[in-house]
Amino acid sequence: MLVKTMLFMAILCIALCPAPSSAGRKPDPVDCDVHSGPCSASFNNIQVTLDIQPKPVKAMTDLTFTAHFAGEKFVAHPYIDLGMPGMNMGRNRVFLKPAGESLYQGRGVIVRCPSGRRTWKATVTVPGVGSVEFVFHVLY
Amino acid sequence: MSSTETIYLVLFSTGFAVGFGHCIGMCGPIVASLSLSLKGRGVIIPHLLYNTGRITTYGLLGGAMGATGSFTSVTAGIASLQKGVMIFAGILIVLMGLAMAGWIPLGSIFGDYYKPGGLLSRTFGRLSETRSTLTYYPLGMLLGLLPCGPVYTALIAAARAGMEAQSTFKGSLVGVGLMLSFGLGTIPSLLVVAKLANLGWLKRRDTLYKISSLLMIGVGIYFVVKAIRY
Repeated sequence: MLVKTMLFMAILCIALCPAPSSAGRKPDPVDCDVHSGPCSASFNNIQVTLDIQPKPVKAMTDLTFTAHFAGEKFVAHPYIDLGMPGMNMGRNRVFLKPAGESLYQGRGVIVRCPSGRRTWKATVTVPGVGSVEFVFHVLY
Repeated sequence: MSSTETIYLVLFSTGFAVGFGHCIGMCGPIVASLSLSLKGRGVIIPHLLYNTGRITTYGLLGGAMGATGSFTSVTAGIASLQKGVMIFAGILIVLMGLAMAGWIPLGSIFGDYYKPGGLLSRTFGRLSETRSTLTYYPLGMLLGLLPCGPVYTALIAAARAGMEAQSTFKGSLVGVGLMLSFGLGTIPSLLVVAKLANLGWLKRRDTLYKISSLLMIGVGIYFVVKAIRY
């Protein structure tokens, strides 16, 4: 009976404890101040510069993602996956279309997480070549 | 398999994956509270009704997204309603906690049923039980409006599919279908939580009911505070 009771209490604690809010967890390392300007990062001899408009970057609003690629050339169209570090939010993919020389653009939305966490990541992928992550804060 | 069928499968599997990874953390407290308020009675039918109500709302939202092709305009329109639902969910959990401990008489809605003797009384008892169980459907519909990151992500997919559809009607249908696929995928995880939080397999439950009631009241207050800050 004691074992059953303890097991039940453990289950209850897990089920009744809501997901941790932003106040109770260690902050994720942010490598991009997306509110002040574009951010750059490299992978496989390609430098990617990502910009998100309008600024400041707010969740639940229509956003334009612009990626500029420098370095090795590629054929496939790149895309951006939006997600939260350490939390599965489902696939939120922004498909990028050519918008100039080595420039790609797409529209998307960063959703709001009720837990209060504001750290998001944009993973820019060039199919068949590789990907790079930008971690940043958004405004709610 | 066509690309349309593929996206239904993608959303179903997304729902399944986020169900076990995300929904348990965010919606687990509500589902556990509903299970506990059943006081050891069967949880499957009430929770299936709750989940059916929840995915009905997802379907309706998906239809609106598919018809308009705009995620942000629809979510902006329901933002204040969602905040209200969040506050309602918190208050509901507190009330269920108080009722479960016997501190307020809410038994006719979520707690114990009236079980008198005699054929006529038993029939009324059954009717009361059916009515009480059926309340889980509208409750699920209402709580389906709770703000949730993965639901938003699925709704973006519904809006995108609506933009690509040939007509508003077709966009709406695709939106409904996609959100129903996503919602169906989330059901297994929440049923697991519902079953595990049920007290039916324990013999001595009184003290645990009291402890669970206090936990539920705490969680309910947390929900209300979170809703006010949302």
